Amino acid sequence: MNLNRLWVLVKGELSRLNKYNVTSISILIAIMWSIILFFVDEVALASLLPLILMLDATLMSVMYIGSVMFFEKSESTISTMLVTPSTSSELVLSKVLANTIHNIFSSALIIIAFFFIKHVEFNWFLIFLGIFAATAFHTIAGLYLAYFQKNFTGMLVNIMILAFVLLIPTALYEIGILTADFWKYLLLINPIQAAAEVIGGAFTGYVFTYVYYISLGYMIIGGLLVYRLLVLPKFHDYAIKQSGV
Amino acid sequence: MFKVEDLKFKYPNNKEDVIRGINFEIKEGEIFGFLGPSGAGKSTTQKILIKILEDFRGKISYNGIDITEYGNEFYEEIGVSFEMPIHFSKMTCMENINFFLQLYKNNADCEALLKRVGLWEDRDKMVGEFSKGMKIRLNIVRALLNEPKMLFLDEPTNGLDPTNAMILKDMIKEFRKDGGTVFITSHIMSDIDQLCDRVAFIVEGQIKEIDTPRNLKIRYGNRTLKLEYKEDGKSVLKEFPMDDIGKNDEFLTLLQTKEVETIHSGETTLEDIFIKVTGVSLKDESE
Repeated sequence: MNLNRLWVLVKGELSRLNKYNVTSISILIAIMWSIILFFVDEVALASLLPLILMLDATLMSVMYIGSVMFFEKSESTISTMLVTPSTSSELVLSKVLANTIHNIFSSALIIIAFFFIKHVEFNWFLIFLGIFAATAFHTIAGLYLAYFQKNFTGMLVNIMILAFVLLIPTALYEIGILTADFWKYLLLINPIQAAAEVIGGAFTGYVFTYVYYISLGYMIIGGLLVYRLLVLPKFHDYAIKQSGV
Repeated sequence: MFKVEDLKFKYPNNKEDVIRGINFEIKEGEIFGFLGPSGAGKSTTQKILIKILEDFRGKISYNGIDITEYGNEFYEEIGVSFEMPIHFSKMTCMENINFFLQLYKNNADCEALLKRVGLWEDRDKMVGEFSKGMKIRLNIVRALLNEPKMLFLDEPTNGLDPTNAMILKDMIKEFRKDGGTVFITSHIMSDIDQLCDRVAFIVEGQIKEIDTPRNLKIRYGNRTLKLEYKEDGKSVLKEFPMDDIGKNDEFLTLLQTKEVETIHSGETTLEDIFIKVTGVSLKDESE
C-alpha cells in the first residue's frame, strides 16, 4: 500500500463529501441535536447524549457511506479510478478513513458543545476511541450493504429496517423493558449495542465489565474481518458492475 | 507492444462467449483500430486489455510479459478514455485534473493540454456545467495526464462537433508522432480511416480482417478509373479498368480529344470494404 496515494485518496474523498454537501448535512444534524439536547435536563442529557453519539456513529455512518457510493454510482467515477495506479485496498480504505474522519468531526462538534455549555464530563480518550471504533465498523458494514443496493431509496428503506431490527432491542434493554439475562447475552452480537457500550464507556458512571471489552473487540476485530473478508474481495466486482459491464 | 493470442471472454450472465478466439498484435508506435458495429466486442476487448475484465481465456502479453503478472503499476504507463465522459461533476475541471495528477508518478503539463483542447478558460467551472463536447475533451486530457506510453480510446470522437473532432484527431496523431502507441475502438469509419496505421474488423467477437486501410482499399477496392467529360454540351461518364490504363487507347483518346471534367479512381470506402468482408453494416447491429 502506497501511503502517499492513500492520503491523496482520503483528501479527495473528504473534499467530495464537502462538495456533495454531505458535510453540510452532518454539521446541520449535529447542530440540530445540540439544540435539542440543550433544552433537556441533566438527568435526561446523561442518557440522551451517549444515545445520540451512538446514532451518529452507527446509522448515520451507514447512511453517509451509502450516499457517497450512490454519488459515485450515478457518475460512474469508480471506472476511472480503476485505471489509476490506486489499488482496491487503497480505494476502499480511503473511503473508510474519510467517512470515519468526517463522522468524528460531526460528533466532536456535539461533544465540544456540551463540554463547554453543559460541562458534561467524559474521558476524552475513550470517547474518541469509542466513536472511531463504532464509526469505522459501521462505515465498513455500510460499504458492504451498498454493494447490494439498487437505488438510494432502497438503501434508505433497508437502513430503516436495519434500525428497527437492531436499534429497538437495544433501546428496550437500555430503558429496562427487556430484563432477562438472555437479552444481555444476545445483544452482544448486536453491533449497535456494541457501539452503545464503547461510546457509553467514556461517560462518568459507566460500570466497566467484560461487556465493554467484548464490544470494543467486536468493533475493532469485527470491523477488520468484515473489511478483509467481505468488503475488499467484492470491491473489484462491484466497481466493474458500476462501470457498465 | 501488445500481443493477443486466442482471446476468449464470456460475461458471467451470458451463455456464449462475446469474444471468440481473437488474435492480433499492437506494434509500438502505431495507431491500431478496432472497427465494428455496436455489440461486436470492441469495448469488451479494450476492458480486457486495460485489466478491468479479468476472467478471460487465452494469452495477452504487454512488452513480452503476461498482463496478469502486472500489478497496478501497469496504469502508470497507459492512459484510458472511456466512451462515456467520466468526471466528478461537482468539482471544477482543475480540481478533477489536480486530483488525478496526484495519483501518478509522471505528470504532464496540464495547462498545455487544457489549452490544446480549448478548456483552459473554463478550468474553474464545475464539470457538471460542461457540455458533452467539453466533457469528452476533458476525457482525453484525463487520459494524457500521466504522460502514458499507450493510449486506449473508446469511441473518442463520438458526440464531438467536426472542429473539436479534428483537434482530438490531431492530438492522437501528435501522440503517435512522439512515440506513443494507440488502441482505438470505433464504429465511425472516417476516424479509423484518418487515424489508424492498421485496422481490425470485428464482428460478433471475431476478427474478420486485419491490415492497413490502404492495403484493404487496394485489395477490396474496385480497380477502376472514372472519367467524366463534355460531349455535345452534355456530361458523359465512362469507367475503365485500372490495369494497363496507360495502354488503353479509348481512354488515351478521350483524354486527348475531349474536355475532361473529372477523373476519379474507383476507391472503395472502408465502410464498403467492411460490409464486403463481414456481411454486416456498421450501422445495422445494435447492443
